Amino acid sequence: MKKKFLGLLLCLALIFSMTVMGGCSNSEPAEEPAEETTEEAAETTESGEQTVFQQALAQVDVDLAPLPEKGTGVNLGAIESTLSNSFWVTMQEGYEEAAEEYGVTVDVQATDSDTDTAGQLGILEDMLVKDYKAIAVSPLTGDCLISGIVQANQDDVKIITTGNEVDEEALAAAGGAIAGKITVDFYNQGVLGAQYIIDKVGTPGKVAVIAGNEGGTQADARRDGAKDTFEKAGYEVVSVEQCDFDVQKAYDAATAIIEANPDLIGFTCGNDDMALGVVKALQEKEMKDKVMVVGVDFTAEAKAAIQDGSYDATVAMSPYLMGREGIIIMLKALEGQDVSSVGDSTPMAVVDASNVAQMDDWK
Amino acid sequence: MKRFLREHSYTLLLVGILIVTIVILSIASPYFLSWKNCRNILNQSAIYLVLSVGMTFVICMGEIDLSVGAIIGFSGMIMGMLCVAGVPSLLAVLLGLMVASAIGFTNGFLVSYCKINSFIVTLAMMTILRGVILVWTNAKPIYGFSDIFTFLGSGKIGPVNVPIVLSLLIAAVGAVILHKTVLGNYCLFCGTNELAANRAGINVRKYKIMIFTICGLCAGIAGLIVTARLNSAEPLAGQGYEMDAIAATILGGTSMQGGKGNVLGTVIACLILNILKNGLVLLSISSHYQEVLTGAILIVAVFISESNKRKRSEV
Repeated sequence: MKKKFLGLLLCLALIFSMTVMGGCSNSEPAEEPAEETTEEAAETTESGEQTVFQQALAQVDVDLAPLPEKGTGVNLGAIESTLSNSFWVTMQEGYEEAAEEYGVTVDVQATDSDTDTAGQLGILEDMLVKDYKAIAVSPLTGDCLISGIVQANQDDVKIITTGNEVDEEALAAAGGAIAGKITVDFYNQGVLGAQYIIDKVGTPGKVAVIAGNEGGTQADARRDGAKDTFEKAGYEVVSVEQCDFDVQKAYDAATAIIEANPDLIGFTCGNDDMALGVVKALQEKEMKDKVMVVGVDFTAEAKAAIQDGSYDATVAMSPYLMGREGIIIMLKALEGQDVSSVGDSTPMAVVDASNVAQMDDWK
Repeated sequence: MKRFLREHSYTLLLVGILIVTIVILSIASPYFLSWKNCRNILNQSAIYLVLSVGMTFVICMGEIDLSVGAIIGFSGMIMGMLCVAGVPSLLAVLLGLMVASAIGFTNGFLVSYCKINSFIVTLAMMTILRGVILVWTNAKPIYGFSDIFTFLGSGKIGPVNVPIVLSLLIAAVGAVILHKTVLGNYCLFCGTNELAANRAGINVRKYKIMIFTICGLCAGIAGLIVTARLNSAEPLAGQGYEMDAIAATILGGTSMQGGKGNVLGTVIACLILNILKNGLVLLSISSHYQEVLTGAILIVAVFISESNKRKRSEV
């Protein structure tokens, strides 16, 4: 019996120490880079040159002027999709640092998985019990938070959506409304990628589009943006492949496409992972120097590949700035400013070998 | 009195944990004990409660059902499609529940007559159902239901939400069936010793099919609540819920080996898990800690339950 108790204690001690250690290791690196970037920011402003990120940061303040008053100390809330994805973790950083700057508090919550829609509604309902003045939500689906938003309207809590959108028609039918929204122009991400190839190549030729999952909002919009831009510029889109954001599928598709069209000049891809799969396929066929590859996201791997010259360009978006915009828009809404039409312009940047060196502080 | 205490020692322990949790959280957060928050907790527990009551039957018979999460999604989709196609809401609900029961029946048939292990059968059923959902819906949610349908998920009877009423009703019926009827007794007997039950002339196969059907029906009702609450049938609704239901059932004192089941314990365990979830949001603690906490509580609780059992058998 004693031995068994010992075993149980050991097990609990293990769980406890893992949690504590995990907590420490999570918080430490999160704080360090933040300090670094502020120092860097100070340095570069002194020398007069701004990085791409600082320009975007300044642009946010210009876009959202007049800025809300600082130091009101109100409590804000935010509900993200899931913290197991680095996008949302960076966005949380944006929320928290902007809240600190404006002298308010923000509590950021998230679901455990991308699919737990009822769980996300539960979090919203739970947060409505506390005295948050405004809550920024990133709904997992267009419909899942509707009853919670209606409840928030009744409680006089302002709701905005960030990144993901809510189905506003269904919301209006249920008698609810949101104060404002920050959308991501996924279509424009496709346009920017295709435009990059058009600008670099100059003369029309054959191109291919590697898309994400059929039916996914982001995937379809990026695909259409790229396809429309190419066709308008007189390029021939020889193939549009659905590769479900999967590296292997993109690799296979690229191999087949290049086999059938050896004179192809470019690929645009729905994200960096797929683009790097395409790059790999091209390298194996020793065709990479003849074909351009452009993606979306600006992940760490993509950055490394752009630096070593194997990958041409990617469209970067800033979840950090989206979080920052979220805080500013909530505060503006609380001051009674009309925010129903702001925030459609999340800053984006095309990153290639020429400016990747200035992208160190992008987040 | 002593006998009562000994027989119900584990349930009393659960009640103790529940009270301690409530006391700690109400001290830590002034919002915790508000009526609105209590209603939230009960409302959010409803889905898990219904699911776990069905799971209690399956587990106390020594089997397992991994397909309940997928049945939530599947029955939700069926109801959603029928509603959108213009079928009257209540008929759509009835048909959806029948489909859910039929899936449970199939599970039971495969387990009892084809002699396939229930873990495998329901695992396969889970992936089949998810696949069919994705094919039929094209991975897109179905939405736009009538008021009668959404009333079942987000409506209120007086000050109480419909899912709360529904789930407590099902828990009560479940408790009566398991503890007061022949079906419940046979179910526990088969869980203790299937061979002996068979020799005693009990049609074990029939009862197995019945409990899997009950579990499917419960999952269907949970699917109804989820779909009506969200006002949309999500293709991935209910994913992973089977694990929550199993955790609540085991924490509630039902033995994984079968032969021991406790609906009241399941209900209390569900409440404890959901109160923790709610409390952590109110205290602004990351939901990741909740998973760690749930796991830790589960190990401790099962340890206590098993060591109690051993002590009794040693005597």
